[in-house]
Amino acid sequence: MSDLEDSSQPRLAAGCRWAGEGENRTLVYPEGALRLQETAQAILERCDGQRTFEQIVQELAVAYNASDPAKIRQDAVAFLERLRQKRLVDF
Amino acid sequence: MTDAALALIAEITHRCPLHCVYCSNPLQMVSSALELTTQEWESVFEQSAKLGILHVHLSGGEPLAREDLTRLVKSAHACGLYTNLITSGIGLSERRWDELVADGLDHIQLSFQDSREVGANWIAGARAHAKKLEIATTVRRSRVAFTINMVVHRQNVDHLEEMIALAESLQPERLEIAHTQYYGWAWKNADRLLPTREQVLESLEKIAAAQKRLEGKIRIDAVVPDYYARFPKACMGGWGRRQLLIDPSGTVLPCHAAAVIPGLQFENVRDHPLEWIWRESDSFRRFRGENWMPEPCRSCDRRTEDFGGCRCQAFMIAGDAASTDPVCSLAPTHSLVEQKLAQVNSAAAAAPNQTTPVLPFEQERFWTYRPNPK
Repeated sequence: MSDLEDSSQPRLAAGCRWAGEGENRTLVYPEGALRLQETAQAILERCDGQRTFEQIVQELAVAYNASDPAKIRQDAVAFLERLRQKRLVDF
Repeated sequence: MTDAALALIAEITHRCPLHCVYCSNPLQMVSSALELTTQEWESVFEQSAKLGILHVHLSGGEPLAREDLTRLVKSAHACGLYTNLITSGIGLSERRWDELVADGLDHIQLSFQDSREVGANWIAGARAHAKKLEIATTVRRSRVAFTINMVVHRQNVDHLEEMIALAESLQPERLEIAHTQYYGWAWKNADRLLPTREQVLESLEKIAAAQKRLEGKIRIDAVVPDYYARFPKACMGGWGRRQLLIDPSGTVLPCHAAAVIPGLQFENVRDHPLEWIWRESDSFRRFRGENWMPEPCRSCDRRTEDFGGCRCQAFMIAGDAASTDPVCSLAPTHSLVEQKLAQVNSAAAAAPNQTTPVLPFEQERFWTYRPNPK
């Protein structure tokens, strides 16, 4: 199993998709659903299989005006690894 | 305030080409003449989405036995529901599969009765195993969430590792290993299906090892056998709290087995709006919340976790649906479960396990197979 690298192109796993809009935006998947916090949602919305992980981190750093992009990267790695263990994200 | 329903189990038909000896369908099945029409199910899906339901599990019987299944998936998808097909696979041609995928199927859950063909067909009462293997290959060609479901019990759990290996070779995202739950037909066959204590403990170790080994590749969800647990399962996440089931004729139930409980009248979507049935009907309010609870549940810290366990099990084992689930080690009726398990464990010790199926002419005496509805 490969690690999450800058060149990885994470995407939602099969059968995992968004439902609802705005406040009701929910990630739905086999046997479950998650309503995510704003930053978690911002990461996952960008996991479209097109953007590289490096691009995603850069976009987040800009969007959140981050002084410490390394911290953002670290948090995003931990988050996406956790979702991969639950088979919600592929990369 | 009533909690929001999250999932609908739509038992769209009780017809099925398989006759599994642990089928969760009620003993009194619904005949095809009484099944809801396409339009009636479409109305149910619309009402469900308005109620806030996210997932619809299309189940049966065998849902593929309904010729309008693809249209039902399309309609449920159009309402914004997450669609899951719970199936044996029998009746799924490549063309039908492609249509289901194109029309918005999100997830398929395909059952296997065993890793060994003879044993699998023996449990199913039908020659289905080889066909299922073909269908799994067809399914995996699409990017749809794929779960393999394997039900385990005394007759097959000894080769659980072989069953896990079969599942692994079919490349699902998810594997559900479910110890049989003793309702419906499984309850009728419980003496042949209940595993020994040793088998249960061994199976839990094997599952834990496979979970670790396959982490990030296949997610393994296990359903434990509550007869051997200290505390009951949170059946359906609590009565009328998260899920509802609609049978083929439109009767709305809080779970698969609730029709066995005497004295409750379950309402039908042909007579009432789904929202009223969920929020207001007597049957859904009967065991909702904590007011119905007896001791020791009423003062137990676990009451918000397991909701007193399963009402059907309380009725089936202890004769009172409003009593604590007898599988709970704190239940006053727990000795009934212990007696049953003592019988199973001593019988299994005296006579080795039936590792090869009995001869065909003896099968009817060994099991009660689930028949088809009239």
